Amino acid sequence: MKLFTILFALGLAASIASVTLAADAGVSQGSIMIQKYTTTPVDLHIPTVGAEVERVTLDNGLVLFLYEDHRIPMLNAQALIRCGSIYDPEEKNGLSGLTGTVMRSGGTKNISADSLNNLLEFIGGSIEVGIGVESGTATLSVLSKDTDLGIRLLADVLRNPAFPQDKLDLAKTEIKNGIRRRNDNLGMVGGRSFRSVIYGSHPYGRVLEWSTVKGITVQDLADCHSRFFAPNNIMIAVSGDFAKEDLLARVKQYFGDWAKSEIQFPPAPLVARKFNPGVFQVHKETNQTNVNIGLLGVKEDNPDKPAIDVMNYILGGGAFASRLTSRVRSDEGLSYSVRSAFDTGSKDYGTFSAGCQTKSITTYKAVGIMMDEIAKMEKSGASDQEVTDARDALVNRFAFNFDSAAKIVRSLMSLEYDGFPSDYYSRYLEALRKVSPADVKTVAQKYLKTKDMSIVVVGNPKAFEKPLTQFGKITDIELTAPDLK
Amino acid sequence: MVRKKLLAIAAAVTAVILSATQLSAAGIQLDVKKHVLANGMRILVLENHSAPVFSTVVRFNVGAVDERPGITGTSHLLEHMRFKGSKVIGTTNYDAEVPILAQIDSVAHLMKAEQVRLQSPLNSQDSTLYKQYRQQIADLQAQEKKYIIKDEIWRIYLQNGAAGFNASTGNDGTQYIVSLPSNRLELWAFMESDRLQNLVLREFYSERDVVMEERRMSYENSPRGALGEAAAAATYWSTPYNWPVVGWMSDLQNVQREDVEQYYKEHYSVSNAVAVIVGDVKADEVFALCEKYFGPIAAEPLPRPVVTRDARQRGERRIDVEFDASPMGSILWHTPQIGHPDIPALDVASSILSDGRTSRFFKNIRQTRIGQASAGVDAFNRYPGTFNVDIQPFGDHTLQEVEDSVYAEIERMKTTKVSQWEIDKVINQGDAALVRSLDNNMGLAYRLANSETLTGNWRYFVDYQDALKKVTPDDVMRVCNTYLTRENRTVVSLVKPYAQETAQTPGKAN
Repeated sequence: MKLFTILFALGLAASIASVTLAADAGVSQGSIMIQKYTTTPVDLHIPTVGAEVERVTLDNGLVLFLYEDHRIPMLNAQALIRCGSIYDPEEKNGLSGLTGTVMRSGGTKNISADSLNNLLEFIGGSIEVGIGVESGTATLSVLSKDTDLGIRLLADVLRNPAFPQDKLDLAKTEIKNGIRRRNDNLGMVGGRSFRSVIYGSHPYGRVLEWSTVKGITVQDLADCHSRFFAPNNIMIAVSGDFAKEDLLARVKQYFGDWAKSEIQFPPAPLVARKFNPGVFQVHKETNQTNVNIGLLGVKEDNPDKPAIDVMNYILGGGAFASRLTSRVRSDEGLSYSVRSAFDTGSKDYGTFSAGCQTKSITTYKAVGIMMDEIAKMEKSGASDQEVTDARDALVNRFAFNFDSAAKIVRSLMSLEYDGFPSDYYSRYLEALRKVSPADVKTVAQKYLKTKDMSIVVVGNPKAFEKPLTQFGKITDIELTAPDLK
Repeated sequence: MVRKKLLAIAAAVTAVILSATQLSAAGIQLDVKKHVLANGMRILVLENHSAPVFSTVVRFNVGAVDERPGITGTSHLLEHMRFKGSKVIGTTNYDAEVPILAQIDSVAHLMKAEQVRLQSPLNSQDSTLYKQYRQQIADLQAQEKKYIIKDEIWRIYLQNGAAGFNASTGNDGTQYIVSLPSNRLELWAFMESDRLQNLVLREFYSERDVVMEERRMSYENSPRGALGEAAAAATYWSTPYNWPVVGWMSDLQNVQREDVEQYYKEHYSVSNAVAVIVGDVKADEVFALCEKYFGPIAAEPLPRPVVTRDARQRGERRIDVEFDASPMGSILWHTPQIGHPDIPALDVASSILSDGRTSRFFKNIRQTRIGQASAGVDAFNRYPGTFNVDIQPFGDHTLQEVEDSVYAEIERMKTTKVSQWEIDKVINQGDAALVRSLDNNMGLAYRLANSETLTGNWRYFVDYQDALKKVTPDDVMRVCNTYLTRENRTVVSLVKPYAQETAQTPGKAN
């Protein structure tokens, strides 16, 4: 940064002079020319509850986050429900996902699936429900003229799903189709195998199998629904063209008489903090190898997150500004997609992973370069300039987290859902601005322990230019056809 | 409704899928301001001050359709090369790079000659010389490296808060996108004008390797990609939609830096470009900045339009693609190009067949658990495209059963009029989709750039909605009878390798 400041003044002089200067100083002429367009700080306003967004709690415990935005005649709502496949009994893995799917596809006790579809699609609106690992979501999107109908249908879908047998059968068929096709795509096999190696039998790494899905009944769905769907277990973010009092009246009308109930959360299995180092080779006849390198990472509330984000940006999160992309892709032409990521979206330990996909005959080379770069970061951290660049990038693009009404209100709701303080974003940003090279080195040493890393490759090891033995003990995994009986 | 296969520079961002929309019924005004520079470059601005950010698309009217055998994939490869810097970005000393680049080109000539020689079994297959040239190029690139500032264009944009910095290439167009904080407008104008007038194709041969990896990933190891590539090749015997956007592997192995440079000169005239800016900017300021940065760039002659067209298809074509994956297929019928009066009715037919849970395919193919089918029509294609249906069977059902079910639904469209309710539903969905799109700067910028580049009229996608509204049940029936015929279709099936099939007990496939 110091170098830039010095050259800035000179850069305004004749451009011929600056060419020479630039060459001498090891910077580009262009980097000097752009200084004058980049001096004003980027406008960063972080919306908060109480300012732009209003938080309201109904008597039955339903929490609303409201943001009026009258520019566009739309109404968007997103409900978050505390539930998820983390609570699925092992022998009924897939239950939560099916419950979410059939809540929407099966219609309600008051309106058949066909009528619900006709009503929504004719007005160009949508309601969708999905249940993931640690949360369920229901979204509504309608023109604001259809607000009343939209809220009424959303409430009905959340409260009174019908769970008809034929729609459960269809949903199961679709899951079976997905299982049948799960080995068809190299990247899909890679991601799944990596999670299995890291998490073992924990639900985060569990693979959906037909054997646990096929026996699930409509009664199971109804039980799953009634266990988790209660107003006191739901938050809804509403944004768009509405008047608060009017909207609240409708929400009370359709949700108000839904009684509170005590939710008994089954114990969620904990991720064991252990590692599974070595090389895992999943055999598939392809002309490329999918590579994932990584280990157990951090939980979503980890206080080191700002430093981790800066460190990972430099390593492989910052696209072409990152070391992994620069070396594996740009220098060596070994892969189209190279990246690294700390997955911090889960309550329990997420993963760190670095991945690429390269032709079989450059597998050893690509793995070697990636391990090198990770080890270099672990050992030496990053330079002042790299840290400054990464911080600038992460801070300056922060505004894009809040560039629409829907994003604003959903972001603030997520904070509460995840148990973060309401000023989390400003605190995060403040911490981000202070991340130092020393912090980067500390988190690199703490979270990038190369000796603990698993290297998971999917491809044809016979076609590798060299065996991967140098990187650890090799475990061969046969890719078997899924059992669909 | 409108589907396009696009390849992007970075893997993280997926292609934006444009869908047709209705504007006037929703009562929304799009206050787009247009300014044409003296050199012919068109600038479109739509102000949206709801957040301190803006999104931009610079679209060039060039894509894979403008290529020729021997240099297929060049539009896309060039798109990658436009992230490698310029005379002033990405280098500490461009002058010192020039002689090295010239040396690289002369070795590349020799290397290409060797490659061509090796392609013929009539010649000796000794590849020593070829490998020597390859090594010489690598050595020269290593020499050049001391002047190169790696990926500086990325660093500059990202440090300044860029989101979604990327580009994509399709058959008809190439677009460069980035979203920035609103006080970085002049930076954008500088950067984009710089890579238009000062582009340097450095690190070419390593990037060519990257694109080959992209080809392996997206086409050779992806069942969907392998199917799509075969479908285009089988459908278009003459139109240059025949080859994949990424190019044939043998062309990628042979294309030289100079070929790409030549292609660049021919297609990247400032007059062949449209820039669209949507967001927290003032139109007057944008125009003034564009005058300042793009204005001085001289216009060059526009590239030649593509005149080759497929003759009327004479009979059904059926193609198998062996792939170790579960079965899937595509059915494609030739249709006219953008602007033809039958396109809106084909678009409505496609939506009635396959959009949403109330569509006919959903009700009669998916809900009956035979499989799934989704239709699309190339409504915004520069040259004649297709009406296409992708299919896959569920469970023990066969691809043939799904194909037959699709034909049964199409037959019904030909013999019984669709209901006005179904047409109205399609129109209403278009209305809502448009209103929704107003909340997305980048999505709007894409639509505007697309319309302006293909038709010279940014409002085209709006006017198109009026055309959709005029479609009657009779029109839908007529176009289904005209285009969706057996002799006009190509059917492509992804099948298990034949050797695997015969090894299994008959009747127990998969």
